[in-house]
Amino acid sequence: MLPNRTCRSGPQAHAMRQPLTIFTATVLMLMAFATSAHAHDVTPGDAGYIQEIFGVHIISFIYLGAKHMMTGYDHILFLLGVVFFLYHMKDVALYVSLFAIGHSVTMLLGVWYGWGINAYIIDAIIGLSVVYKALDNLGAYQKWFGFQPDTKAATLIFGLFHGTGLASKILEYQIAEDGLLANLLAFNVGVEVGQLLALFVILIIMGYWRRSPNFMRQATVANIIMVLLGLLLTYQQVMGYIGLHAHV
Amino acid sequence: MHNAPKPNIEDLPTLAQLRRSSIIAGIGAVAIGVMVYLPAEYGADPTGVGSVLGLTQMGEIKQQLAAEAAADEPLHGGDDSSSLMNDILGLFVSTAHAQEAWRDEITFTLAPGQSTEIKAKMEEGVTLTYAWATTGGRVNFDLHAHAGSDAVTYEKGRGQISGEGSFETPFAGDHGWFWRNRDNVDVTVTLQLRGDYSEIVRSE
Repeated sequence: MLPNRTCRSGPQAHAMRQPLTIFTATVLMLMAFATSAHAHDVTPGDAGYIQEIFGVHIISFIYLGAKHMMTGYDHILFLLGVVFFLYHMKDVALYVSLFAIGHSVTMLLGVWYGWGINAYIIDAIIGLSVVYKALDNLGAYQKWFGFQPDTKAATLIFGLFHGTGLASKILEYQIAEDGLLANLLAFNVGVEVGQLLALFVILIIMGYWRRSPNFMRQATVANIIMVLLGLLLTYQQVMGYIGLHAHV
Repeated sequence: MHNAPKPNIEDLPTLAQLRRSSIIAGIGAVAIGVMVYLPAEYGADPTGVGSVLGLTQMGEIKQQLAAEAAADEPLHGGDDSSSLMNDILGLFVSTAHAQEAWRDEITFTLAPGQSTEIKAKMEEGVTLTYAWATTGGRVNFDLHAHAGSDAVTYEKGRGQISGEGSFETPFAGDHGWFWRNRDNVDVTVTLQLRGDYSEIVRSE
């Protein structure tokens, strides 16, 4: 089509002549920094699509919001932590609403006012939110500090951080000014749709699991694994942040 | 041990409820996969629902971008030599003098989804002045240049109807616009140029 439109710069061409490890490392690096490496490059995928369009696209943005939520394992992990020990639909609805209010507020305000918080930092905090909730589920705060921090407040506050993370991702998408508010609201609706779809599946799995006589023992193991996954997410983001600043 | 007690079995959904929910989830997943995911990611719309929702267009744009990215992939080796050729050729190319009048006027029409590239072959450190306007609709553009490992983006825009300005080249090569019509009507663009360029290069 337009063969001359872009160029991948030296590093990639150079790598062809280098050992396989360097090639792999370069490809991984290019993938990790693909959006920032060359602003004029063809950006494929969701971001590329968003950067091509302008005007109001309600259903497209609902889809993109839902996709973002369902493929964002950090949000899903936190959601799993929140509903892990909620047995009544009334409680599930309350906590999930608190999380939704929290992330909607900062997502909308963050994009509207362009709060460009570094994605690595906010994602590291989101990783810690998973660690916090899993430790909470394990009763760690009662054991260590002798009291139970308010779980509703924690869900709302961490929701605010998750929303800031969503806002940072949306800002990277560079949605056109033309139709921004409608598209942003549609994206937010999509995030909630995606969350409810994910929740539906989580509740089915938890429903079967909770009937098992070994549930409480396995729950301990599961929440310890969740702590480790949260720490892994945080570690990756911190290393990404350090790497980013080492390269600049 | 935990911050919650063991669940009472009567508080939990029954196996029959869980089975019903699983079936609903399974049907829902297949329906979303076929009617939403396939159109939105691959532009494939076996049921026609994706087109009604406007998601098929998203998938088509994504596929088009992926194909363009893939088409660019093997050409990088050529960039180095062509920039060297440009440098050598550039020694023999006499510099045109900027005039107050426009030197070239180019008019082209793009159907929805169509794109074109118009570039000026320029030396390092020279200036191009331009003005353009559309009739019919709005256009997306990416004003940039690249040669070998050098790359620059002067300006990007989408849904625009006019533009004007000038830029100075940081390196020798082809500097100019990638245009694409993402509007839903034909767009005609009239582009006027003057400055120190040796020729206009167009590619579809």
